[in-house]
Amino acid sequence: MRYQRKNNSQKVLQIIGENGYIFIFALWFIFLSFKTDTFLTSQNILTVLRQGAIVSIAAIGEMLVMLLGGMDVSVGALLGFSGIVGANLMVDFNLSPALAGLVCVLVGGMIGLVNGFLVTKVRINPVVATLGMMTVLNGLALAWTQGKTVAGSQLDSIAFLSRGYIGSIPFSVILMLLFYCIFYLILNKTVFGARIYAIGNNEKASWLAGIEVDKLKMLTYTIAGFLGGFSGLLQVSRQGSATSSMGNEFLFPILTAVILGGIGLSGGKGKIQNTLIAVIFLMTINNGMVLLGIPLYTQDIIQGLILILALSLDRLHYRNR
Amino acid sequence: MTTILSLKNISRSFPGVQALDDISLEVEQGTIHALVGANGAGKSTLMKILSGALAPDSGEMIFENAPYAPADPSAAIKDGIATIYQELNLLPTRTVTANINVGKEPNHFGILDEKTERQKAASALAQLNASYIPLQALVGNLKVGEKQIIEIAKALVGKCKLLILDEPTAALNDSEIIPLFNIIKDLKNQGVTILYVSHRLKEIFALADVVTVLCDGKLVVTSLINQVTPDILINHMTGRKKIKSAFPEKNKVIKEEVLRLEHLSSSMVFKDINLSIHRGEVIGITGLAGSGKVELGKALIGDFPINSGQVFLQGIPFKPSPAKAKSAHIGYMPEDRKKEGVLEELSVQRNISLPSLSDLTQFPGFILFNKERELAQQGVEELDIKTPSLKQIVRNLSGGNQQKVSLAKWLATNSEILLLIEPTQGIDVGVKFEIYELIHKLSAQGKTIILVSSEISEIIGLAHSIVVLFNGQIQAILDGNQTNEEEVLQATFGK
Repeated sequence: MRYQRKNNSQKVLQIIGENGYIFIFALWFIFLSFKTDTFLTSQNILTVLRQGAIVSIAAIGEMLVMLLGGMDVSVGALLGFSGIVGANLMVDFNLSPALAGLVCVLVGGMIGLVNGFLVTKVRINPVVATLGMMTVLNGLALAWTQGKTVAGSQLDSIAFLSRGYIGSIPFSVILMLLFYCIFYLILNKTVFGARIYAIGNNEKASWLAGIEVDKLKMLTYTIAGFLGGFSGLLQVSRQGSATSSMGNEFLFPILTAVILGGIGLSGGKGKIQNTLIAVIFLMTINNGMVLLGIPLYTQDIIQGLILILALSLDRLHYRNR
Repeated sequence: MTTILSLKNISRSFPGVQALDDISLEVEQGTIHALVGANGAGKSTLMKILSGALAPDSGEMIFENAPYAPADPSAAIKDGIATIYQELNLLPTRTVTANINVGKEPNHFGILDEKTERQKAASALAQLNASYIPLQALVGNLKVGEKQIIEIAKALVGKCKLLILDEPTAALNDSEIIPLFNIIKDLKNQGVTILYVSHRLKEIFALADVVTVLCDGKLVVTSLINQVTPDILINHMTGRKKIKSAFPEKNKVIKEEVLRLEHLSSSMVFKDINLSIHRGEVIGITGLAGSGKVELGKALIGDFPINSGQVFLQGIPFKPSPAKAKSAHIGYMPEDRKKEGVLEELSVQRNISLPSLSDLTQFPGFILFNKERELAQQGVEELDIKTPSLKQIVRNLSGGNQQKVSLAKWLATNSEILLLIEPTQGIDVGVKFEIYELIHKLSAQGKTIILVSSEISEIIGLAHSIVVLFNGQIQAILDGNQTNEEEVLQATFGK
């Protein structure tokens, strides 16, 4: 029988490779704690978590799709468009917040389903399919709003979602943790989760094992759409308004967090809790740079470099297997 | 005549198999030398050694009076030995010219010399009497026969002196075979030596000057073609009769039809297949490479398109797909274990439980991990899968044990019909016999086994009835208890 034997340096490399960003995160965390007085305060930590809530919830959907070996680059545009629809229904049609919120989430789900259909039935490459979807949604958002900001006092009724507190804990942070708990259970304890991992690992073998791969993929893209739609609602709640471009800022941090969290681009491996940690890491990068007084434009450079670094560690780890 | 290539005492073994055993062979310059043998005789190992893809364990080779020990396939090509495999290595989206010159493009300091490139391609095609193939055509748009010519032209540009052809007619239709033969004969007249590896005796008698027969890794005979007959060759190929007792005694078949195929056809690959398969029966499907046997097997699970005809499962029309097959209790062990049979990065436990997972849950879809473990443990014990734990990822198991995992998942679903494609390919002898025992046991339990295999001895040893395919059609249905290797082999040759 053939078992793997690894020497020590390979083991170290493997541990770093699997958790590379956590090491860097820890270093960054310690550095900030000493360097600034404000970083390690409960106030600041809660701010970081609150900033991460919307990205992290949308990132769950992206993570599911990437576990399958797919990708959804329309997530930001989907978030923005669903948000606009929800806000518009409340402001201009006086729909009740609950109903408008539901429509917002459903719109996201519908778009996700179309993505899933294009990927499975029409067999378009996921990146290309969702890139097309992103362009369409951006155009739709612009046409829908005529470039104007959707705002009104009606939106105050959903402010609690993003800006409310339960005790001293922001409600959005509670939502975030709730979603992660639910999807942790789904991924690790249910048949659906097991099948997502199986398909990402080997689609053909999973299909031959009797898994209905296409259905499951469509369902996953739809769930990602629901989550994106809900994140759009949260963003409207946070801004108190909706603009056609509000989804744009989300794509990069979502993709970065999911990849940083160790979901390989080929799918089949990775843990959901690492996605959450990666989102928080990204948020502390921004937060820390603000606290340190680093100029805004430098932040992008550093974010990009961190993504490349984490990916290099990931590749290194694979090559040495 | 001079000897261009001589092999002295070449041996090569793989775990559990002596693939080549002390082979000594001389190939004369300018001849067509055929190499024949049944599956597993060692033809492909020998070919891989000559082409530099494998190194022998012992023995030496002499090519053009110099020791020949290629480090890799490109070294072999440089020395003048080119191999054309059944699967062609062409770039479908590039032109004929580009394909013929690939890897040795004429250039000046890295700038392509397109004129010389075209000239070389044109002269290579002219040498093959194939100037009718346009140089600017994309190779992907050519017919299979033309693609093969491009492969040969590629070898000629590389100044090949010995050309190894592996089953070159396997994918060709009859009208394409004659031109290919003419090309091969032409090349011979131009002094190129050909090593022609094939199953097809008819072709060998039409082409070859000399024939060498391999059987079980040993060289049985090398003879001038006019001194042998097809029957003699077949006798040599089957070698000494295998001891039948290696296979368990077959049990009686219950006369209850479970699966019926009516006029099943898939464009060009298999045609008008009619079969009736009974409970507890082991039905063996065999044939040469390209006979359609694997595709027929795949079609029954929905992994190969069916163009016309119908499958009936217990009398009810059945449109195959893996998911439907699963709910109909049909299990499937594919040929390509690593790519299709197992999920290499997942645990033994999850691999075995995968098709059964939805039955191991409580509301609303939570997996009952205890039951999953039990199920996997049962599979591991029943099939004696050697693994340190259920959590071990499958990639770390040996090939035979991976194969058992691939099968265990279907036993766990209580499959009534098992479709096994080349179940013992590439696994060691010990596990092979375990799988034979298992097939026998399952059939005794009333399960139906469809065994697609190229190994005639295994088919005869296990199957109640043997379906032999030739060119996509049923050539013969033989009684597994009455027939012998020779009769089956004859049928695979279309006789």
